Amino acid sequence: MSDLDYAGFRAEVRAWMQAHLRGEFEPLRACGGLGDSRYDPKLAKRWEQELARGGWVGVGWPKEHGGRALPLSQQVVFHEEYVRAGGPGRLGHIGETLLAPTVMAFGTPAQQRRFLPGILAGTEYWAQGYSEPNAGSDLANVQTRARLEGDTWIIDGQKTWTSWAHESDWIFVVARCEPGSQRHHGLVMLLVPLRQKGVTIRPIRQITGDSEFNEVFFDGARTEGELHLGAPGEGWKVAMALLGFERGVSTLGQQAGFEREMACLIEVARRNGVARDPVMRQRIAQAAVTLDALRCNALRVLAQDDAAAGGVPVSREAYIAKYVWSNWRRDFGRLAADVLGAAATLPDDDPLAQQLRQVWLFSRSDTIYAGTNEIQLNLIAERALGMPR
Amino acid sequence: MDFTFNEDQVALRDSVSRFLMNEAAPELLREIWETGGGRSRELRAKFAAQGMTGLSVPEAYGGVGLGDIDWALVLEELGYYAIPDSLVDTAYVATTLMCQVDEAAALREQWLPKVADGTARLSIEHPVNPYVADAHLANVVFAFRAGAGGALELHAVPGAGLQRSSLTSIDASRRLAALPQKLNASTRLLAGARAQAMADATLDRASVAVAGRLIGLAQRMLDLSVDHVAQRKQFGKPIGSFQAVKHHLADVMTKIEFARPVFYRAVLALQRDERHRAALVSHAKLACADAAWTAARKGIQVHGASGYTWEVDLQMFMKRAWVLDAAWGDRAFHKARLGEALVRDDAPLGPAATLS
Repeated sequence: MSDLDYAGFRAEVRAWMQAHLRGEFEPLRACGGLGDSRYDPKLAKRWEQELARGGWVGVGWPKEHGGRALPLSQQVVFHEEYVRAGGPGRLGHIGETLLAPTVMAFGTPAQQRRFLPGILAGTEYWAQGYSEPNAGSDLANVQTRARLEGDTWIIDGQKTWTSWAHESDWIFVVARCEPGSQRHHGLVMLLVPLRQKGVTIRPIRQITGDSEFNEVFFDGARTEGELHLGAPGEGWKVAMALLGFERGVSTLGQQAGFEREMACLIEVARRNGVARDPVMRQRIAQAAVTLDALRCNALRVLAQDDAAAGGVPVSREAYIAKYVWSNWRRDFGRLAADVLGAAATLPDDDPLAQQLRQVWLFSRSDTIYAGTNEIQLNLIAERALGMPR
Repeated sequence: MDFTFNEDQVALRDSVSRFLMNEAAPELLREIWETGGGRSRELRAKFAAQGMTGLSVPEAYGGVGLGDIDWALVLEELGYYAIPDSLVDTAYVATTLMCQVDEAAALREQWLPKVADGTARLSIEHPVNPYVADAHLANVVFAFRAGAGGALELHAVPGAGLQRSSLTSIDASRRLAALPQKLNASTRLLAGARAQAMADATLDRASVAVAGRLIGLAQRMLDLSVDHVAQRKQFGKPIGSFQAVKHHLADVMTKIEFARPVFYRAVLALQRDERHRAALVSHAKLACADAAWTAARKGIQVHGASGYTWEVDLQMFMKRAWVLDAAWGDRAFHKARLGEALVRDDAPLGPAATLS
């Protein structure tokens, strides 16, 4: 056990952020991402390109693919400092941290040459085509169909809850390529351009009034015959491997984001006098120590991964992460509403109050997306505890 | 203590429920959400035709002169249908206030017939609320304000010519406004101890009115959720067949059924003007808010991602519950009031208090 000793690197990230998150990028400061009404996607894309020019995209990627090959612990430092400096939600997140590692693991050299540079440069954006109206928690119930006609895949069906599709160029789609196949058999993972006649994207309005996710309809949509990741029929394996990358280092960046929200909450509580209320002080303190425990667990899991260089099965501790942080944040959202009091239900020009209100409403979804609480508890019971399925 | 409602009260609830089921469908709520004022004149006229605007108005002014207990079940129904109207503030809380203040005799002559026929709206400003709900359409705003020297005063501020800028709440049919800093001495009805007593009574009545609607909202969110989990299939079965999902909704029902009698007890205390009224009212507001928050939290969980969308009706009920929870004293306020009542010398503790 040791402290992460990267003072020089920390200072480098901090200095870069200070020099670059300013001027035209100022409005992005501390924005959550799409779904945050203050977030301008066009500006966010220019920001991704600014990051790319600074060499801050793909910091963990191997050098042969244009990355910096930083060890996990150093990537963590980058994410922490990025968020601490007010870095906005990352529009390139799905391409950089989900699709790219999967392309490196399962893609052909030609696919790697074709797709990784656009992600690295912040010029091509990706969406994730997993959930469907009847395949949510039950992902293996995918019904979207793909058939190979000559050298072209033809895709028909519908995806939903597709984050950022309306701002993306490509989508990776889990589709059924063997007619009549069941469950996790007979699937393929396809890389499909979003801007084409056969694709219709309909934003879904959320309870916040904004739209982060979409319905995506495929009606004879097309993609080239070789744009499948892994072998046709083995799409489930690829899809699951991709989800494994989802529990990567970005969770630490998310953690740093929570700490920023915590600081914001304390500031508002100080200003409006709530911080003097003994009951509220208890609740704030409880939230703060739980957040610290979350950070410790995330670091512990990452340290294990770092030591084993990703070669070990997911540890028992890793299974609890999503369940614990999402419940923490949902309760934190409630605390934010309580700190604001009646002002929580009103529009407010104060940027701190605005942020807390956003956290409150957004955190209603934390225990639902990326595996509901109920699914997480099943995973803990079945995989970590070995209980019968 | 007898918790049963009489035949008339149950019949009133049933007729209100039937009426709202037909006239206040979620589609109508959505339409009203989209309008500029957030309220519907047509809907108010229908309430009047149904006699709901005259429940507290004395017979002499065209109403039926009912009391708090008669309102209890009606409040639950108004919550259940998330009625986007200031009916409760106008026809119950402010009307009762007007009837209890001798100095308001002229106002009663002028406004109560119009309350009964559905053409007048009343609002209330109270120090516990940072903003006044529905001031933008009010014909009269009853304002409890600290006067010179800090003692509370009650003003009846005419809506005509009143400066008020209104804000839109996350509950899109709700409008809130701040009234001018200075009120004219000519609008003052009461000052001193009588104003304070009236302010306390109004706070309690309005809090009970919120509590009843929160129970109704919680029940509606539970019903919507039970329907959803029976329809929605994953893994080849309705998700309601999974134990994890069942437990969520069982928790909600438990909260609701434990909050309901607390609400009824508070209504009784209000009607009888009991000595420990304030503590019982605060308890009711807390218990009902807890039921509604739980129903919203568990409801959105079992709805999955669809519950987080604008399109699915659940959000309208959640938002109404959240704004009502924040109105007429937040949880910290009511917990503090309850706490004070429990350590007072004449605290209603022990068998003599519980079994009386």
